Amino acid sequence: MRLVEVIVLISTVLAVALLITVGFEHLVPSERVRPVAEFYLNATYNQYELRNYTAMSPEAVTAIVWDFRGLDTLFETSVFYLALIAGLALTRGLLLERAEKSGHGLSIIVRTVTRITAPMIVAVGASIGLHGHLTPGGGFQGGSVIAVLPMVVIVVFSASFLVIKGVTTTKLLVVRSLGLTGIGLTAIAVFLVGITLHMPAYVFQNMAKPDAQISMPYSVAGALISGTLWFFNIFEMFAVAAGFSIAFIALMLARTLESSRGE
Amino acid sequence: MLPGETGVYLVMAIISLLSVVAVYMAVKTRDLVKAVIYSALQSGLYSILYFLLLAPDIGLVYIPVAVGLIPGVLLVLISKTERWEKE
Repeated sequence: MRLVEVIVLISTVLAVALLITVGFEHLVPSERVRPVAEFYLNATYNQYELRNYTAMSPEAVTAIVWDFRGLDTLFETSVFYLALIAGLALTRGLLLERAEKSGHGLSIIVRTVTRITAPMIVAVGASIGLHGHLTPGGGFQGGSVIAVLPMVVIVVFSASFLVIKGVTTTKLLVVRSLGLTGIGLTAIAVFLVGITLHMPAYVFQNMAKPDAQISMPYSVAGALISGTLWFFNIFEMFAVAAGFSIAFIALMLARTLESSRGE
Repeated sequence: MLPGETGVYLVMAIISLLSVVAVYMAVKTRDLVKAVIYSALQSGLYSILYFLLLAPDIGLVYIPVAVGLIPGVLLVLISKTERWEKE
């Protein structure tokens, strides 16, 4: 039985290796770009020729995610928020705010290294999130990098460390809700300006369109912010980071309280 | 000397094969903690593949979610049940 498994595994590996090393000459992706991709690549940062269609962001993926196809991302975010609410509903009835100190965590070496790397994790996450309109990355990527920190802290120190330090699920829920409110307000910002100035404007509008000449400022004091994209990214970063952190704190604290109740 | 593209494809082939091995180990091992670690290894190799396939956005979201968050949740789940898979 064991021999058969090894033979199957090795032959699979050899077959895949043969396919990839020999077949790549015939499987090289086409160098030509499809018309829709060509339009997005031309329009993503084009102030002069496609002034009415550009998103003023050199990063085409973020421009598609939050400008050209922004409504999809809004619903994606709401799905994530609903999943989070379902997760919190599972841990309801547990005393999440009044956790007692339990355990001493890992050794002092691990704790010191965690104290040093903690600001680095936040810095990398903030950099990915805030430069989302310039380099690969964005709000969700930056937020999920930051969300790794609470998990590491919980594992290294103790399950109730964050709550004792004042990072409660209620506060994180407030951060999360502020992030979502910011996303909603950014989506209708240009529309509200259009209503006040009695000019036509769209919901989810970023730059000026042929029949709606209002646009967000694409740079502030010479620094490119790509209109709504920067605001969407920063609010999404806070929302995602707080959302994942709530899920972890709830999971770990629920475990602690259950086991102490069992004893 | 290999042309540049061939080298990239060879690296992708090697990474794909290593990820196959990691998946096999994750499926076959009886220790669930080790299975989670093999799964995280496979995800790390996949994120390199995403980077080589010119999708760094997906790679950036794949690393924290698949290497950091999902193993964390799975380890919590394992700590609530038994570590060893039964026959």
